[in-house]
Formats: sequence, C-alpha cells, structure tokens
Amino acid sequence: MRHSMAALSLAFLAVAVVSVDAAEPGKKQTVINPPPTAQDWANLAKLPDWSGVWNPKITDQDAQIKTNPPPWTAKAAAQIDHMFAEEKAGRPPPVFVECLPEAMPSWMLITHNAMEFLFTPGRVTILGESDGNRLRRIYTDGRAHPDDPDPTFHGHSIGHWEGDTLVVDTVGIRPQAYIAVSEAAGVPNNGDMHIIERIHLATPDILHDDLEIIAPKVLTQPWKTTRIFFRQRARKFDIVEGVCLEGSFAEKTDPDGNAIFVPIPHQVGGNLYAPDAKR
Amino acid sequence: MNRRVTMLGLVAALALVVGVRSVAAHHSTTMFDHSKTVTLTGTVVELHWVNPHVSILVHGTVKDGDTPSDWLLEMTSPGNLVRAGGWSRTAVKPGDKVVIEMSPLRDPDKQGGALKKLTMVDSGLVLTANIRAQEQPGLE
Repeated sequence: MRHSMAALSLAFLAVAVVSVDAAEPGKKQTVINPPPTAQDWANLAKLPDWSGVWNPKITDQDAQIKTNPPPWTAKAAAQIDHMFAEEKAGRPPPVFVECLPEAMPSWMLITHNAMEFLFTPGRVTILGESDGNRLRRIYTDGRAHPDDPDPTFHGHSIGHWEGDTLVVDTVGIRPQAYIAVSEAAGVPNNGDMHIIERIHLATPDILHDDLEIIAPKVLTQPWKTTRIFFRQRARKFDIVEGVCLEGSFAEKTDPDGNAIFVPIPHQVGGNLYAPDAKR
Repeated sequence: MNRRVTMLGLVAALALVVGVRSVAAHHSTTMFDHSKTVTLTGTVVELHWVNPHVSILVHGTVKDGDTPSDWLLEMTSPGNLVRAGGWSRTAVKPGDKVVIEMSPLRDPDKQGGALKKLTMVDSGLVLTANIRAQEQPGLE
C-alpha cells in the first residue's frame, strides 16, 4: 500500500517536472509542487496512526551512555571523557548554549521534551516543544536531496514508507550540530554527517526511532541506536509554545506604557544565577 | 545612610531579578548535588514561569535560627511542569508559604538548588518536578 502511494507521489513529481516551460532552452527548470488532490488527502488515512504527543524515555537515553556509546574516534572520545569528568565533578560543560536548537541528531537522541507528527500530502512534519523553532520537514513526495543543500540545524530530510515504517534519510546538517549523549556530553559532527532513521510503532503506544548515524569526522563507524517515545493523549500533554529565548529577557514596561522584553545578561551554559550565600 | 542602604538594597534586588531570569538552553544538572536533600522553609518571592526552565525565588531558611534569605530553585520547562501535575503559572504566588525539598548547588557560595518537591503550607498541596516519572504511555 505504501509503495503504491510512493509511486503515486513520483508520478505527480514527474507531472510537475514535465509541466515546466520547455519553450526556453537553457532556462533553469522550475519545479512546481503540485496541489494535493482529494485522493492524496484520502491516502493519508492509510498511514499508521501517530497522532497524540510523544515524550521521550529519558532513562533509556541515560542508560545508553554506558550500554551503547557512539564509536567515537580517539580524538572525540578524549573530549567526551573530559566532559564526563567535568560533569561528574559538578561542572557540567555547556553543550546546548544560547538556545540554539539541539539540532539533528541530538534532538532525537537526548531531548527531554515532547514532539508530535503531522501527516500532510507529500510530507511528514515533526514539531517539538522546545528551542522556539524545533521542526523537521521530511519530504515524502519522492524528491531527492538537493545536490548541495545549505547546511541547516535539522538538515534536508526525505522519507518513504516501508509498510508502517517511515524511513528517513537526512543530509545537509550543519557541522556545528552536536552528536550528544547527554545535555553535558557531545561533540560537533564536523561535517559530512548522514542519518538514516526507521521510525515505527513498537507497540500500539510506544514509538521507536532506529537511528543510524554516519559521521566520518567523529565516528569510526556508523552508530546504531534506538530512541523510545511514549504516546500521550491526555490533553494536558498537548504541545505548548516553548520559546527558549524568553528566559533571556525580562518583562518590562517602556515609557509609553508598552509591555516589552528587555535583554538581560545571561550565562552561556544556561546556569541560573543563584543568590550569594548569606554567611 | 538609610537612603544609601535602601539604594544598595534596590540594586541588589534588581541584580537578583536579572540574575534569576538568566536562563539559556538545556543543560545538565550535576551542578546540583543530587545525593543530598535540603529542606527550605519560607515565602515565595516570585515564580518565573518561562522557558526553557521555570524557577522560583523563595525567602526562607534551611536551619532553625538562620536569618531568612533568598534561595533560587530551578525546575524543568513550563510544559513539562504542567504535565507533572498541579503546576501552572499561578500555582505558586508571591507571599505563599512553602516547604521545599531540593538538591542543593554544590557551590557553597550560592544559595540555590534543583526543586524536588514543593508543599504549600496552607493547603497541603504537593507539587513535584520529575519528568522521568512520566515514562509510560497513556498517562492521565
């Protein structure tokens, strides 16, 4: 069933490519995304039900630090060991600073926050609660990756359905994006990272993201890991706005009586400034 | 003299307000000593209901006989706290009397901690902040 949908998508893409103006030789072809048909919308009903809100199994993230560590290069391993030592000493190194996105793959690897899936024709969208702009667009319309995508925090993702499993291929991720095993231990991927995910329901309300992370600058071989998410349907679990930067501003009133944000000094690693001890 | 003291107090208070709002991004919590539990009894000064981390400023003491002073308690995000149950941006108000259990900062020069449990003295309402307690589907 999924294959037929993929074929349908490819057919639409072909129509889109054919429909470009061929009257001007040498003109760069404009690819038009065709408007979804009623059948495209109807086909979404055949996909597995991933509705609801998904929150991560953080204890398993924690456990895999020891049970399934990434195959770090010696250089990366030395940095990670130092970070673990610093964290153990009560000086956790800042990894995710100034509210920059956790990015891929760390969002999937070490998030403490909820996410949700949206299915629309030709696309799966993952929305997260944190960082203010945590969003993954996974194109399932049959397109290929761009030849030279602009590096982004979440990369360029294309996906297809194999049965009830969404297979996602992601490239074009910023070299600064961390491969993190905790909020205090990770190294930037340093470029050329490629991530393959197989996202599927393991049980009716437990979702697995089987990741294969290929990062030749910091890993000696592809790293496979599974991350686990729990489905919640209670309304209190609904995703809410999570603008990370709001903590970097104070709420003030300007001379005109307007309610405004005023930037305030803040530590790069996100530590709070606790009051000085009174002794 | 009195005016000078007042001004110093205002500056200190402003610095404090600026400081406690200074939160950025996600971080480990090992600056807190999770092997210890310190109980703080006092009065809420302010609840900072912001992402990425909510915090509460409390004026109180951890030992009988101490002079009351300000402590900062850090928690998870507003969204995660709502799911933990009972929390909202108006759940705790300035002036509320509270008893708080926290993992204290390791830094002996600072008065802060990670909040484990808050009990409202007047109502007996108990609020917690452990998102690892939510690891099963279909929670209500």
